[in-house]
Amino acid sequence: MELTTIFVPVLSLGAVAVGLGALILFISKKFYVAEDPLVGIVNELLPGVNCGACGFPGCKPLAEELVRSRNATLTCPVGGPDVAQQLGQVLGIKMEEVKPVICTVLCGGTNSHAKLTAEYHGIADCWAATQLYVGPKQCSFACVGLGSCIPACHYDALRIEDGMIIVNEERCTGCGACIKECPKNVLVMAEKKKDRYYVACRSTEKGGVTKNLCDVGCLGCKKCERVCDANAITVENFVASINQELCTHCGKCVDVCSTHSIIVAHDLPVIQDS
Amino acid sequence: MKTFTPGGIHPSENKLTRDAKIENMPIPALLTVPVAQHLGKPAKALVAMRDTVKKGQVIAEADGFISAPVHAPTSGTIKSIKNHPHPSGQYVKAISITSDGNNEWAEGLNVEPEDFRSLTREDVISRVKDAGIVGMGGAGFPTHVKLQPPSGKRIDTIILNGAECEPFLTSDHRLMLEHPKEVLVGLEIMASVFEQPVKIYVGIESNKMNAVEIMKEHAPESIKVEALKTKYPEGSEKQLINALTGRWLLEGQLPFDVGCVVQNIATAYAVYEAVCKKKPLIERVFTVSGMEIAKKKNVRAALGTLVTDIMEYCGGLESDNINQFICGGPMMGRAQFTFDIPITKTTSGLLFINNKELDNLRERPCLRCGKCIEACPQGQRPWVLADKAQKKHAQELPSYGLNQCMECGSCAFVCPSKREIVHWIKYSKAVNANIRQREALKKEAQKKDS
Repeated sequence: MELTTIFVPVLSLGAVAVGLGALILFISKKFYVAEDPLVGIVNELLPGVNCGACGFPGCKPLAEELVRSRNATLTCPVGGPDVAQQLGQVLGIKMEEVKPVICTVLCGGTNSHAKLTAEYHGIADCWAATQLYVGPKQCSFACVGLGSCIPACHYDALRIEDGMIIVNEERCTGCGACIKECPKNVLVMAEKKKDRYYVACRSTEKGGVTKNLCDVGCLGCKKCERVCDANAITVENFVASINQELCTHCGKCVDVCSTHSIIVAHDLPVIQDS
Repeated sequence: MKTFTPGGIHPSENKLTRDAKIENMPIPALLTVPVAQHLGKPAKALVAMRDTVKKGQVIAEADGFISAPVHAPTSGTIKSIKNHPHPSGQYVKAISITSDGNNEWAEGLNVEPEDFRSLTREDVISRVKDAGIVGMGGAGFPTHVKLQPPSGKRIDTIILNGAECEPFLTSDHRLMLEHPKEVLVGLEIMASVFEQPVKIYVGIESNKMNAVEIMKEHAPESIKVEALKTKYPEGSEKQLINALTGRWLLEGQLPFDVGCVVQNIATAYAVYEAVCKKKPLIERVFTVSGMEIAKKKNVRAALGTLVTDIMEYCGGLESDNINQFICGGPMMGRAQFTFDIPITKTTSGLLFINNKELDNLRERPCLRCGKCIEACPQGQRPWVLADKAQKKHAQELPSYGLNQCMECGSCAFVCPSKREIVHWIKYSKAVNANIRQREALKKEAQKKDS
């Protein structure tokens, strides 16, 4: 065997490689785009899950926009006040205050509390089920309980138990990705506080109708409204709502509520990680 | 024999009530009349609790152009106005009327039949509109809208849809046999509204040859009665136009766009009653059938009659084996979760079914056999739609012909893997509607900001 059979391919392929390398070098110098080094630093500060809660497609676009415009109203809702403060330091601006939010379920009608409709044979998806009928529960405001919101959560914070969605409060970052997946709008973002009082019902039906369909529905009886010293509770359309700013966490409303539809966040069952 | 291309299937007909004469059901003590019995905006309730009403009195008025009024089906007092289960599967506002037993007509209604030829075009349309007539085949599109095509659209063909291609249902068949003259007068009234329709067709499936003969016997020369091949979905608007005229509706087109108007048999009968006798739409004929009901009948009952009353009238259930109660036909109807629903203007049948397949129904993977493509009357690829929806790509589907689908169920019927193709398509439509709604909200918010 002659040595040329090895040398010729090695040398010719080597020459091609060197040529291409030179071309890449030339292109990278010629078309170099100067990037603000701040973008990299800001991007490092952001959580990096690309959830889209800020309104941008991901963390990098938010970082670019922040560095470009220095807009103090732009922020990362997931990161909360800590991240906002750090961003402010890096960018040299005073960021607007962010209140941390958390996903709250405005329905308490588990399969054991609510009246059920009929056996459902079909696609296990809330949107698919509500196209055919009111849902597995007779109340038309109730959580469907087939878990369309679960795949939307980037943090694995949602789970179905007894036909009802429950939120792992430690994992939920309040990004809001789950909200638009709910056909019944039972998920809302509420301010994250240690003692959070809220009414876990959205039923605007008259008290008698609600009572008939669900054990834990708000009847709109106005007992809580009368007992509240801080005037934080208003009853409209047969459903109560609690103003978080005025609420003093006294707990009187929870005591008088005959259907136990007012829930205190620290009373919620803690979900263990599987 | 004329038929549509492509696609179509032939499910077993099961027309058990073919020879059952239409029976008039006595008016029950309590009627629950929903305010939404049509496509478009729900009607606005005009009455309050404890009001007394006469038979035929307007109890809810049309809200907008695409809407229809609702009338009291009997005389009595208003018991309540609240949300009630509706054949659509949702809760809809309904007016409950306690009958006083007199069945007394409001003034000026239910007069001796008069000749429609003495009426002007506007008179006819206003009588149809005031009578609250909607398409009674199932969709419930207000008829007065169909009679007033947008300017610039020339209508040259009027089609009366007597195909009744759904299995089990026989109400239109019986109407044609028992009231052929009235149905044909109704058709003539609707044809007289258009300036000069060239052709008037009556399309009837060939499994109802006695109806074809009787209609031919009574039809004047201007009306052509055609027997069509028995094939589902022959009675779909688009397919019927294709079968009789050879025209084809593209995506987003309405029958107006190809110069056609399609009306149902029951609608024609209701138009006759409204225009000649000034009788608003307060009752309809429907089929009560299925293996599990004791007496299978064609019944004429007041709108708002509860299914529980009709079951009692038809002898109740034969056994406890019923596992599906369907409102409408078995192919396109809806399974209901309660018997406590009222009859509406669009209820064409009540089916009490023991579906043995239901208990071990399991969706298996698609075999790519292509049967659904052969069956699809719209020439679409149903498996692609279902497959993409299952893989969470529903938002891409409009470009794959999602909106061409009218959910006739032919694809799911022939699927050897028992795939829930129509359900996936319904799901995709809902997802796309949600996306559109959110985008509209976003745009509105942006407008407010700027």
